[in-house]
Amino acid sequence: MSPTQDLTIFAISIAAGVLGALAGIGGGMLVIPALTFLYGVDIRVAIGASIVSIIATSSGAAAAYVRDRLTNLRVGMFLELATTSGAVLGALLAAIVAPQLLFLLLGIVLLFSAGMQVYRLREELPPETPPSAAAQALGLVSSYPDARLGREVPYAARRIGLGFVAMGFAGLISGLLGIGSGALKVLAMDGAMRLPMKVSTATSNFMIGVTAAASAGIYIGRGDVDVQIATPVALGVLAGAILGARLLVRLRNQQVRLIFVPVLIVIALQLIARGLGLDIGFGG
Amino acid sequence: MSEPRVTSGETEARSGRQADPEALRLAVSRVLTIGVAISATLLIIGVVLAAFVGWTGSLTGAALPSEPVYTLPGLLGGLAVLQPLAIAQLGLFVLVLTPILRVLTSLILFIEERDRVYVLVSLGVLAILLTSLLLVR
Repeated sequence: MSPTQDLTIFAISIAAGVLGALAGIGGGMLVIPALTFLYGVDIRVAIGASIVSIIATSSGAAAAYVRDRLTNLRVGMFLELATTSGAVLGALLAAIVAPQLLFLLLGIVLLFSAGMQVYRLREELPPETPPSAAAQALGLVSSYPDARLGREVPYAARRIGLGFVAMGFAGLISGLLGIGSGALKVLAMDGAMRLPMKVSTATSNFMIGVTAAASAGIYIGRGDVDVQIATPVALGVLAGAILGARLLVRLRNQQVRLIFVPVLIVIALQLIARGLGLDIGFGG
Repeated sequence: MSEPRVTSGETEARSGRQADPEALRLAVSRVLTIGVAISATLLIIGVVLAAFVGWTGSLTGAALPSEPVYTLPGLLGGLAVLQPLAIAQLGLFVLVLTPILRVLTSLILFIEERDRVYVLVSLGVLAILLTSLLLVR
């Protein structure tokens, strides 16, 4: 890698970090194609760098999100039970399931979800409903200070069972296909549990780091994390994530959704292309 | 609205809602900030030194270890001779460890808060993380 290439990777990684912090994703959708197509980096090394990118986005943005009460720690940790066990199951099944069709199916599911998002484009906050007994028992009832709306916004997780199953599915998918599945996590919290959009992306962001950290040990041990490539990626993504976290607080929930939907569509198309055997890089 | 900022304690008292305890949030936030700061510092030192002696050079000029840098002997050997590659690798290790440390931090804080449900949740997450590591080896 020449210094110019290092700087370009650094710049692309800043963009991946900003987008990751805002949309609750790991940034693999930008980092992997950039490394494989622009620089011909081996796909295994590109995936190794994207694992580092997921952890950097998560830790870089979550420090601010947790402090400012955008991330709901209890929601995050409760759902991590589902994502981590799903991921273990997925990793075990990966040997016997053909991924090609799965990429295609997941891409279609995400594209459909993006279509459904159109109905919520004008919604700033989900309708307020009295918290269920389950939500109260699990501590999934809270509020966040919205700097843009200038007030404290109360919320309670709805359809916790459905959300938990959707999160297990997101974990299963990340274990099976080796993608971060941040987009699926946002969909589960926004769509199934009806959490405010900013809380959904900030909590997804918080969660993706732990799952990625579990598999990072394996990637490093196999030698798939190339220090010379992962270092500019990590530094760029960290800077971008810290920047993105400052930005999210100032945005309306509607604007966050307007950023999330195109990201969802790009990821869906990448997955479909991969399912069809077209090599255009893939995300999650 | 003249005073939009409301502390989590007030909100809890006002609506009976269970916000994340402040001590927990601040501890988790601090662990993440410190982890990121140490990692970024090591990565930057690695990049800067690499500009002078190259990634696989060494500052002391001593012989480099023969093991790859992602193994423990390779990493320690590289650090001993101030190899830029090994310093950045250590930074990546710290980055990877940070989310796991924040799960441990939450566990300790949930124990202090006597929040039985979330002590079990944190232990569950840690157990599954350990299982995932053991399964692949």
